[in-house]
Amino acid sequence: MASEMDLNFKRWIIAILSLLFLVALLVVAWVEGGKERVIQKPKPIMSGDSSKCFDCHMQKSPVIAEQWRDSKHAQMGVGCYECHKAGKDEVDAFLHEGKHIKTIVTPKTCATCHSDIAEEFDSSHHSKAAQFTGSLDNVLGHFVEGPLAEANGCWQCHGSNVALLKDDKGDIIRDENGKPKFDPLTWPNTGIGRVNLDGSKGSCTACHSRHVFSKAMARQPETCGKCHMGPDHPQIEIYNESKHGIAYRTQLDKMNLDSDSWIVGKDYSAAPTCATCHMSATPNQPTTHDVGARISWTLRPPVSTKLDNWEEKRNGMKDTCMQCHSPDFVNGFYKQFDDTIELYNTKFGQPATDIMDMLKERKLITRDPFNEEIEWTYFFLWHHEGRRARMGVSMQGPDYTQWHGFFEVAHRFYFELIPQAKELAHNDKEAMKFIEDILARPEHQWMNGISKEEQDKIYKFYMKRYGQKAN
Amino acid sequence: MFDKLTKWVLERAPVNTEELKHLSAEPVPNHLKRWWWCLGGTPAYLFIVQVVTGILLAFYYVPSFDHAYDSVRYITEEVPFGWWLRSVHKWSSIFMIMSVVLHTLRVFFTGAYRAPREFTWMTGTLLLGVTLMLGFTGYSLVFEQLSYWGATVAGNMAQAVPVVGELMARMLIGGEKIANNTLTRFYVLHAGVLPVAMVVLIFLHIVLIRVHGVSQFEFRDEKGTGKTFPFYPDHFYTELIMGVSLTILLTCFAIIFPAELGERANPLVTPAHIKPEWYFFFTFRWLKITGLTFAIISTGFFFFLMFIWPFIDALIRKFKPKSEISVWIGAFAFIGILILTIWEAVAEH
Repeated sequence: MASEMDLNFKRWIIAILSLLFLVALLVVAWVEGGKERVIQKPKPIMSGDSSKCFDCHMQKSPVIAEQWRDSKHAQMGVGCYECHKAGKDEVDAFLHEGKHIKTIVTPKTCATCHSDIAEEFDSSHHSKAAQFTGSLDNVLGHFVEGPLAEANGCWQCHGSNVALLKDDKGDIIRDENGKPKFDPLTWPNTGIGRVNLDGSKGSCTACHSRHVFSKAMARQPETCGKCHMGPDHPQIEIYNESKHGIAYRTQLDKMNLDSDSWIVGKDYSAAPTCATCHMSATPNQPTTHDVGARISWTLRPPVSTKLDNWEEKRNGMKDTCMQCHSPDFVNGFYKQFDDTIELYNTKFGQPATDIMDMLKERKLITRDPFNEEIEWTYFFLWHHEGRRARMGVSMQGPDYTQWHGFFEVAHRFYFELIPQAKELAHNDKEAMKFIEDILARPEHQWMNGISKEEQDKIYKFYMKRYGQKAN
Repeated sequence: MFDKLTKWVLERAPVNTEELKHLSAEPVPNHLKRWWWCLGGTPAYLFIVQVVTGILLAFYYVPSFDHAYDSVRYITEEVPFGWWLRSVHKWSSIFMIMSVVLHTLRVFFTGAYRAPREFTWMTGTLLLGVTLMLGFTGYSLVFEQLSYWGATVAGNMAQAVPVVGELMARMLIGGEKIANNTLTRFYVLHAGVLPVAMVVLIFLHIVLIRVHGVSQFEFRDEKGTGKTFPFYPDHFYTELIMGVSLTILLTCFAIIFPAELGERANPLVTPAHIKPEWYFFFTFRWLKITGLTFAIISTGFFFFLMFIWPFIDALIRKFKPKSEISVWIGAFAFIGILILTIWEAVAEH
């Protein structure tokens, strides 16, 4: 393409092209403008009713309004009114700015959109967490410690039976705006098994935290650790001690916790959290909100038992394990786990329980809980130390299995429970025989001294390791 | 007022404007009026675009293992106009490589490298090498999965060079595997060493062009006329039209095909398919069909032959004057590279 353009013509072309470049820059600025809108907080989608709530609450309670604006709900058009609206006949409904609303959003409300999840949750152990009224824990909280300890301790995890204050006539007490007053012992409460005024059980906010409704938060072990911690069920401490917890903390930035899809081995592979093993999806099974769906043993009672359909549940858990571990590893782990639980059951849990039942049977102690020292001893043995030992092995936390677990169980059994039981039975030959028969079992024979061979073996070990200092 | 100001400036900076006019109005051959002959100035212009956008990107880029990818993501998603700068930088690098290759082909097939312009050709081939290295180091700095593994392959290739390979690879990677040391090395090369080398080589290239003058081509319709025209303003305007057109084109490409960001580099997960940038497709395919060591040696030998081709051509023409065998060899080599490139592009593995 030969060109013999004259200079003036070239100048014109340059001028026109420069103008075109300016137009191109305007397009760039327009794209940039659009991009900025994306970077800024996305505009929430709101119904007219929710919009009114949002505008006012941005002034009155800006944090919850901001939290909601950052949430997925805000992008999906699920606003304040959509969740808080109430039928005027609902017991906790009240008129607010011309609309009937309620304070507490329950799983029944969440089920409007998340019905499958709500059903799974409703069939889970979590939803029944408040149904422990007859348990020893409840006796402790309610009677031994006091109702406020129960309300602020037990119920904040297990959930309260939400109640409204009523006057002598049985009518609901309301404030000057007609808003019903909650029984302050039962509300605020975000316990996972909360019994709500609409009859539903549970509290989604226990894990998903209103008004953020975060998937990421629910997937973090810290969320579970709010309740699954402490001397009687130290799951979070065990997890932190385990390799799983170490991997999680080391590789937190690779956990992809915010991802919509969260399938182990596909969307993340850095570490498992509580959710990974107990609830989240694998390539072979969907997410479940039934937290016990993959649990085969109950480690909660004095003597552990296998749960209904335990094989099926175990296969679910094994499938999760095998996303990272080989079948040999997983089967080996379960062999260790099962045998250790059997050890606890046969050596400590069952004998201690049998002794306690025998003492009650023979009226050597009363049937009232916690009014005799041996009942506290027994409670410590299975409820604290026994659970620590069993949960420690279930989640591969060696120190919780042994030092915080079996070591303390053994001490409690041999040097507190047995002496206390003997003291109570010292005038009852049959009771004493019952105890002696238990101690005569092979697993307790070490109390009578270990064999000469074993003694020699231990002596030689120490001599080899420490020399004369061993003496 | 303007005259006074000019006088004031000239008193303090006594530039001989007449001489400047004379210098810039150097007569250039008439064939430069043909658009095809703009390809020498095009890469120089694109290099300026690269420098300007590169400096702006460097304000935000962090050359460290932990932050490189995040800083590129930050540039792309959060810095005002960052996506545009990065896209223009990327597309101008691609255009630059294309124009340098086309310019090299034009010079080769028109025999413009022949005496006395051998050194001009040699500085040109070095400029081609520097351009490719700039492309490679720049791509690696993004630190996404493919660029990370591309750099890993490059490290392995360097290692395969006989005798000095181990040392070369260590120098390039800065350790056993790609880590912080690699990124700082690539960054220093990409933003310091190579651009400086480029400026020095461009300067030498232009000096040599000015010393020998632009090689004269006469087309059939202007044979024997020996026509020339002044560089400024005639050819300058042509280059300016090319420059502004390219700028518009770059912006269009940046808007329509903005630079994307792949998965974050993960040293633990090897992608199923590793591919370098398109301009290295031919070496990658050559490597796959011949084996690592042979591919490295043969590719190195190819570039060496290309570097000294003016002397080989002179030797051929000494024994066979007026021979155009170089054209046939060049065409054969170019078609070979093209086939390897297309092969790699369409092949899954």
